[in-house]
Amino acid sequence: MKPQTLASIALRSAAIGYVLCLVLLPLLVIGKQSLAGGLASFLEDIRQPQAAAAIVLTLEMALVTTMIHAVFGTLSALALIRYEFPGRWFLNAVVDLPFAIPTLVAGLMIAAIYGTTSPLGAWLQQGGIAVLYDTPGIVLAMLFVTMPFMIRAVQPVLMELEREQEEAAYTLGAGRWATFWKVIVPGMMPGLLTGVFLTFVRALGEFGSVVIVAGNIPMKTQVAPVYVYGEIESYNPRGATSVSVLILLISFAALVIMERLTRPPGERLPILVHRRLTVEPLNR
Amino acid sequence: MRKLLIATVWLYFGILLIGPIAYLCRQAMSDGVAAFWGEITRPEAVHGFKLTTEITVIVLVLNLIFGTVTALVLARQQFKGRTLLSGLIDLPFAVSPVIAGFMLVPLFGPETLLGMFFGALEIKVLFAVPAMVLATLFVTFPFVVRELTPVLQTLGKAGEESARTLGANEWQVFLKVTLPAVRWGLVYGATLTIARAIGEFGAVLVVSGNVLLLTQTATLHIYQSYVDFNYVGAYAVAMVLIVVSFAILTVLEVARVRATASDG
Amino acid sequence: MSGSQRLISTIVALFLPILSQEVRAAETAGPQELILAAYSVPKEAYEKRIIPAFRQQWKQRTGQEVRIRSSYGASGAQARAIIGGFQADIAALSLEGDLAQVAKAGLITHNWRDGPHQGIVTASIVAFGVRKGNPKGIKTWEDLAKPGVEVLYPNPKTSGGAMWDIIAIYGAGLKLAEPKQGPTYTASLLKRIQKNVKVMDKSGRESMTTFERGVADVIVTYENELLPRIKAGRPYEVVIPAETLLVENPVAVIDRNVDKHRVRDVAEAFVVFLRSEEAQRAFIEFGFRPVEPAVVGTQAAALFPRPAHLFTIGELGGWEKVEGLLFGPQGVWTRTVEELAREQ
Repeated sequence: MKPQTLASIALRSAAIGYVLCLVLLPLLVIGKQSLAGGLASFLEDIRQPQAAAAIVLTLEMALVTTMIHAVFGTLSALALIRYEFPGRWFLNAVVDLPFAIPTLVAGLMIAAIYGTTSPLGAWLQQGGIAVLYDTPGIVLAMLFVTMPFMIRAVQPVLMELEREQEEAAYTLGAGRWATFWKVIVPGMMPGLLTGVFLTFVRALGEFGSVVIVAGNIPMKTQVAPVYVYGEIESYNPRGATSVSVLILLISFAALVIMERLTRPPGERLPILVHRRLTVEPLNR
Repeated sequence: MRKLLIATVWLYFGILLIGPIAYLCRQAMSDGVAAFWGEITRPEAVHGFKLTTEITVIVLVLNLIFGTVTALVLARQQFKGRTLLSGLIDLPFAVSPVIAGFMLVPLFGPETLLGMFFGALEIKVLFAVPAMVLATLFVTFPFVVRELTPVLQTLGKAGEESARTLGANEWQVFLKVTLPAVRWGLVYGATLTIARAIGEFGAVLVVSGNVLLLTQTATLHIYQSYVDFNYVGAYAVAMVLIVVSFAILTVLEVARVRATASDG
Repeated sequence: MSGSQRLISTIVALFLPILSQEVRAAETAGPQELILAAYSVPKEAYEKRIIPAFRQQWKQRTGQEVRIRSSYGASGAQARAIIGGFQADIAALSLEGDLAQVAKAGLITHNWRDGPHQGIVTASIVAFGVRKGNPKGIKTWEDLAKPGVEVLYPNPKTSGGAMWDIIAIYGAGLKLAEPKQGPTYTASLLKRIQKNVKVMDKSGRESMTTFERGVADVIVTYENELLPRIKAGRPYEVVIPAETLLVENPVAVIDRNVDKHRVRDVAEAFVVFLRSEEAQRAFIEFGFRPVEPAVVGTQAAALFPRPAHLFTIGELGGWEKVEGLLFGPQGVWTRTVEELAREQ
């Protein structure tokens, strides 16, 4: 065998082995726990009123989060790429911060500033807006931890998008809106889709920050990860793993769909390009 | 139009990100600088910083090695199940860290094969540092792979092929052709790994045992301070973590801009 | 050295300290080190007073240095960690039920309930914490059920403290009810109070921090959570309802681990120490009610008023029975929550 082929095979085995051990094996273990009683018990677990309510609430909140980021994250990416303005470097640098901030701290921060002991929180409460301990709080926490995904997914694709294309359309008479909808949006679709799916999946699993800012009232403000935690803590690991497996399956399906949808034609792998912004605006 | 857009973006960032962080910093300093300093130099805090650093370094090295290997495989090789592998790689994003931690218990618990194996060797895995490393490894796994794969793809095989025809062996090709070309992907992946590892909380809460001055990372110390009603302490250590991460991110940005500029 | 050799030696150099630390830890967990797993609330009592006092006493008695590594967290979580392999030598938990789980897993082989005071070292009662001046005039359990009153307690699924709180409501309801109306009245009381709960944190401590953040008019918690905070100057008052539950916290030596670490004598001495006068006085300082009569006679009677209708978990049927009755899948509390959700 050519040394190259030997190396390829060795490499492939190492990669697959690592992924299997690190990612698949633990997941299989909890899968086994939840399915130990068979499919019937799995279904029974996820149809418990509190479990079902938690799953539905989580899906709803994640969806709202994704929609908000789809709009504002994209706009942010646009602004960061296209326009020079004071403080742009700062905004661009802080986008990745949610990766670095422990979810617990994110929860504490949001609870601190929007809770009733802060000036802002007190003012909001007087205006009748309840942020914390209600669904807006959950969305806020999810928005915080998923912030980097949309922006970072859309940015590089926008960068790739030829500015000339946009300018050409514009000079040919297309208005700003038409240009936006017919040229920019389709062009950045792969990035947008990637961002949407990653945001959704990440929001589904968020625990550390949500548990602090949500009321966690079962069937009202309790998300699936908090429900799972509760079941683990009350010696019901089977119920916990069943709901976890369901969420994981949903996430996995979403990720696979994302992979398929964002493959550029002719290529075999998705583009999830994270390239940093350069200071000079795109100028080809 | 442009002004409106920029204003909207500032508002978006302000409400979600900058506001809370700024408020946290203000609360951390609310008892004065001396109190702040006292909190971050307490033995528990120092131990936390040290342990977090140790775990982060180990996780970084492992991720760099195996992440690169996996990226090479994904970018260069075709085989059945490649999409599946690719999907698996993203899965740690979706798994709640609490679950990530709990997964380790049925794997390494005292009644399991692995647990008994390590037990016989007198090596504590669960409720000790190794489990914390494993949990952190799980959650940081996607970063290097995801940063490196597309860069490797874009790179193409041309450079490597010509090196091979000139007589270089696989190892040399990798070290002298491939690696230098993808260094920025590696560096960015490494940065995200570091940032995420520093911030890990849920998984280590479950598998660390939370023993004071032994298995409390910086994040666990923050939690302990918070439930001890020591809010300034919690916020102070949190602020240090945020500042360190921000510094790493900024240094990377500046270095990259400089390098791109000089590359011409 | 070639690049790859350098890489390998770097990795080994990085791993070695961590692994050797672990191995060393296993070796030196011999006669000199004890690992304590406790629930979160008594942390200050143990760290500031009891552990240093014990170490001193042990040194005087045997000339040996003992180091105590401690971990504080939710009672249930600690129990689970011990079952999952956390090698604690001593477990000081919030409720019997958690210790029973550890025993069920085979880690405690002696009957810890046979010990003095049935294995209990500290006591407390379930009480209300209200804002200074008691603006909403909260005195009784029925006051908690009034519309417009916001109540705070944690989630019983994750918090032992919450279980004590809800069992207190249940028991109080039974006491307050007309004869033969017990179960109906108490279910109604529980439902009306639960309706006033907007936030359920995952532990008692977190509940207290939420209260400190200005949420809710009244918090239902251990008396010993409130007393130290008030002592530290927080603007709260303790209101003790006439009928409430006696909270009893057990401690036990984990047989399997002490024998493995060969620290049985130190561990058992520590547990005995917890009932000594010195330790019990320390507990009083941090708001706990002592269990030792020697101390009880003098200070405790003055510091800790006795509620008129105090009841214990034993009177209600014991932990296992009550837990299943209230928190099981068909439990009173479980059904209450589901009914409330449906009615909204």
